[in-house]
Amino acid sequence: MTANINLPDTVMEWPAKYNEIPKAVFEEPGLWRLELENIFYGEEWHPIVHRAEIPNPGDYKAAFIGEMPIFAVHGDDGRIRVFHNACAHRGATLVTDSAGNKADFECPYHRWLFSREGALVGCPNSQEFSPSFTKEGFGLKELRSDSFSELTFVTMSDKTPDLRTYLTDAVTDPLSRVLGNGHNLKLLGYQKVHYDCNWKAYVDNDGYHAPLLHLAFKLMGWQGGKGVQIVTDNGHIAFDSELTIPGKIEALEDSSIVQFKGDPDSKGSIVVSTFPITVFTKHMDMLNIRYAFPKGPRGVEVHYTYFARDDDSPELLAHRTRQSANLLGPSGLISLEDAAIFTRIDLGNRSPGNAIFQKGVTDEYKLEFNVKQNDESGNLPRWEHYRKRMGFRRAKA
Amino acid sequence: MNGIDSKVRDAIERLNLTYIRALDRRDMHGWLATFDKPGSYVCIPKENEDRGLPIGYMLDDCYERLQDRVTQVTKIQPDAVEHYQPRHFTQLVDIKHMGGVNYRVETHFTVNYTPADTGRTDVLASGTYVDEVVVNGDARFRSRRAVLDTNVVPRYVAYPI
Repeated sequence: MTANINLPDTVMEWPAKYNEIPKAVFEEPGLWRLELENIFYGEEWHPIVHRAEIPNPGDYKAAFIGEMPIFAVHGDDGRIRVFHNACAHRGATLVTDSAGNKADFECPYHRWLFSREGALVGCPNSQEFSPSFTKEGFGLKELRSDSFSELTFVTMSDKTPDLRTYLTDAVTDPLSRVLGNGHNLKLLGYQKVHYDCNWKAYVDNDGYHAPLLHLAFKLMGWQGGKGVQIVTDNGHIAFDSELTIPGKIEALEDSSIVQFKGDPDSKGSIVVSTFPITVFTKHMDMLNIRYAFPKGPRGVEVHYTYFARDDDSPELLAHRTRQSANLLGPSGLISLEDAAIFTRIDLGNRSPGNAIFQKGVTDEYKLEFNVKQNDESGNLPRWEHYRKRMGFRRAKA
Repeated sequence: MNGIDSKVRDAIERLNLTYIRALDRRDMHGWLATFDKPGSYVCIPKENEDRGLPIGYMLDDCYERLQDRVTQVTKIQPDAVEHYQPRHFTQLVDIKHMGGVNYRVETHFTVNYTPADTGRTDVLASGTYVDEVVVNGDARFRSRRAVLDTNVVPRYVAYPI
């Protein structure tokens, strides 16, 4: 992976024990260029848009892959394509807002015009262009894409295995249940937040913390902890757990906000975390994709994106909406504390040494793939995948 | 705002000042007291509002939810959330009489915030309140809708805006 890039002076040796993570990995800004090349522009798939976000021809959504601006467009042929957000001529961005609908995409600089399918359809004064110019040679640059359950992923590498192989069976089953379980989805909206921490601090949230950090779990008498984590050797984690909620919650005047009213085939919680940075959750009746965009070595923007099923009754739609708006995200009753912790971890990790994982670690010198719901050891195979992607040597025991 | 009785305008101004003063003192019961029954409070980014998408940061659509917002802020989240000092600045920009005791009011806002750990002050959000206000002597919010121009908020919005 690292053959064609220059390793910075900051390349680190990884501890011999698998449960030790150098704190410097969160704080060393020189790692960011390496992470771009080896991870964000490397052999990984990154989810960009669900069809429910851009349901009509001409709908588009802007996003990033690493530091590169990209945008997804719903073509007249029904296909969703993802392009670099750069005019094929001199590179000015073509869309400047987060989402919208356009008949075509015009660069204002020299009025080059592109179709919804990315073809160059107009360019003023082309009779005076260079001899080798052809319209066919100057369409928008499309990224390699594939979809799962109507969710479009992109990758910068031709070598990335096909999407289903990449996601693995361990991920596709719970992920499909988050993404509607065979039903079409309807977009409910976004909550966008900027966390002032390294992207890996955001995504290193674990199963150990959930009943301990989140006081709401205790106050509401939720019973959980019986589930498992399925971890893969390419950095994905899937939690599939049971959750029992009392019908009447004494701490609240309106207990209906925390009830299951949706599909009977899932009474529990599903959390899927795909490498490197995306989280998908189905808590109660909330269907949530957390697209995340690192803003360099420090700072990560997370777009909590909420969905309903498009065949929901009006009552269920209203329930999903009020539950999603109030329980998750940057003001959420059961998640607000996470935001507090991300920043604290990031600051505290400027101290020397290693972060040492404990819960669920049975052998410090080997990776454990048998992980219970409330273990933190489920994050260690992902760290190992990160280490390998980055080309860091592990110290000898 | 032409044609609006000065007593009505004064009552609406007083209501808004009571509201922001309560929030800046973290007096959630004082905040709750500015709402009529059944009241509602919504805090939503403009991006969603403009696209007709219903998700907000807070969606308290009945009086019980308003009461639970008080519980969340005062009892559930203080354990793990670091307090920031909010400071609201508002400007009443429009009042429309909707008949009887009902008024539709627009008020611009900016909320600064100062976290205890850094001591530095930044902007948390700016936007517009779009309110339904009942003026019957005193004024109360039938509904307050904080529409945030700020589509990406920093870290968290721990208290109503």
